[in-house]
Amino acid sequence: MKTIKRKTVNEIFFYLAVILMCSILLFTFVIMLSVAFKGAKEAISYPPTIIPAQFTLQHFKDVFNARIFPYLSYFGNSMYVSLAVCVVVVFLGILGGYALARLSFKGKKYLSETFFLVYMFSGILLIVPLFRMLSAAGLRNTREAVIICMIVQTLPTAIYMTRSYFETIPIELEEAGVMDGMSRLGLIFRIMVPLSISGLVSVFVYAFMISWNDVLFASIFLDSSALFTIPIGLNSLFNTPDYIWGRMMAASILTSLPVVIMYALSQRMIRGGLVEGGVKG
Amino acid sequence: MTTAHLTRAQSNQRFAYSLLAPSLLLLLLLIGYPMFYNVYISFFDVPLNPKMPSLFVGLGNYLSLFKDPTFYRSLLVTISFTLLVTLLSTVVGLFTAVFLNREFVGKRWVNAIIIMSYVVPSICLIFVWKYMFNNIFGIVNYILVDILRLAKTAPLWFDKPASAFILVALFAVWRFFPYAHMSFTAILQSIDNTLYEAAEIDGATAWNKFTAITYPALKQTLATVVSLRIIWVFYIYAEVYLLSSKVDVLGVYLYKMAFATRDFGKAAAISIVLFVLIFSLIMLIRKKVFKHEND
Repeated sequence: MKTIKRKTVNEIFFYLAVILMCSILLFTFVIMLSVAFKGAKEAISYPPTIIPAQFTLQHFKDVFNARIFPYLSYFGNSMYVSLAVCVVVVFLGILGGYALARLSFKGKKYLSETFFLVYMFSGILLIVPLFRMLSAAGLRNTREAVIICMIVQTLPTAIYMTRSYFETIPIELEEAGVMDGMSRLGLIFRIMVPLSISGLVSVFVYAFMISWNDVLFASIFLDSSALFTIPIGLNSLFNTPDYIWGRMMAASILTSLPVVIMYALSQRMIRGGLVEGGVKG
Repeated sequence: MTTAHLTRAQSNQRFAYSLLAPSLLLLLLLIGYPMFYNVYISFFDVPLNPKMPSLFVGLGNYLSLFKDPTFYRSLLVTISFTLLVTLLSTVVGLFTAVFLNREFVGKRWVNAIIIMSYVVPSICLIFVWKYMFNNIFGIVNYILVDILRLAKTAPLWFDKPASAFILVALFAVWRFFPYAHMSFTAILQSIDNTLYEAAEIDGATAWNKFTAITYPALKQTLATVVSLRIIWVFYIYAEVYLLSSKVDVLGVYLYKMAFATRDFGKAAAISIVLFVLIFSLIMLIRKKVFKHEND
């Protein structure tokens, strides 16, 4: 009897602690939602409110109105940069990951150590030479300069991730492919790639998150506001005196959505991997 | 070995090199070459006008850097910031991972909530923090001063170096602890539960179980998480720069030197010093910590 009671008390404390922890962690997001849906005056009233006294969708309408807020232009630029980075990085990741996972060659160990060192490297160390080099190449104030820098930032990790996904695929499947007379590129793109789709999706999501979040290279290379990506675009508006908090929060919610959705989907895909089905079939 | 085998190995090798060639070329061109170019620039006084020739100053930029008190202050801020953020984000991540390492209702949701601050773009989080910690209408000061009465006057979070340091460190811990949490959770899930059950029968306390079972299993991951976090926080720029102008870590100092002061030569010298510091740390811990990463 006594132990059962103690167990129940322990359980109650456990759940209370979990609820407290979640409330602290969610606080920032609650405020984000609250301000996005309340009037501009209420947002700066004191004492502050958490549940809006007057609920409004005005800020979301404003964010989509290109005449008063250039959010859609920022969004388009961020999409362009991030998708371009992802396509290149996933493709090069497949090629490099396959070489590291399946082929033996001279200098392999040395090479993967170099990739790991680059992984720990940071873009901030190279801002001066990269700025000089890409400006000299005529890429100043272009989104392509940002794309090139973000590709190099994410590539080592992408190759690493792809390699470890490829390593989980049974080698017998490739041998079967060789029997069927497949070319070497055929083995990669018709056997390895379809079987590691969930892994490649997480490489895609990784590269997307990093590029979508980039402030450093965008702020170095982009001068004209028509080319601004979301982070530096919103930050430039923040520094003007007439920004409106609700609009900023609405924009923040819309900016978070793509990565949050992608991340959730990729987590779900990894749980239901495709490899097992491949061996059985 | 037969000739057929040899040619197969050789063609394997050629195929591997051609698959890796584009990636290697990109990394050489945009990380390898710039690194050397950085060293070269650091020996020059680079004028604002790109058409004007740069002036060779030898070690001049380094000498002026080592005479600059701002550099030493920045170095001190960076080291204390790195140690504080690494320690707290690892401890918090370890605690949540151990605490939540059991079955309970809503586990998936709780994990999703933990990961939120790691996934959402930092600029979005920074806007909300700027709002929450605002001097005039911020809800944090309202709670601290008017409700909990922990402070007499509202702290000016963004305007004083000390409070800005605390604010940015708090933000970084919140942003980075999920990484530690996820790394530790993955390892904890692989520990056989019967070990804990056996320990419980022997009358082990929670602390006993942690030191005898959990810690030995986590040791290697702990070392990796701590090392990577030290390296990454040491380079931090964006989060600090966007949140407050009062915390001059080396990343911010370097950025300002390059793009506000426009002294490229000195900025390159800062990059080299930063690189040498981190690179020696990596070399020092490489054999011990990152052994298993390169298998």
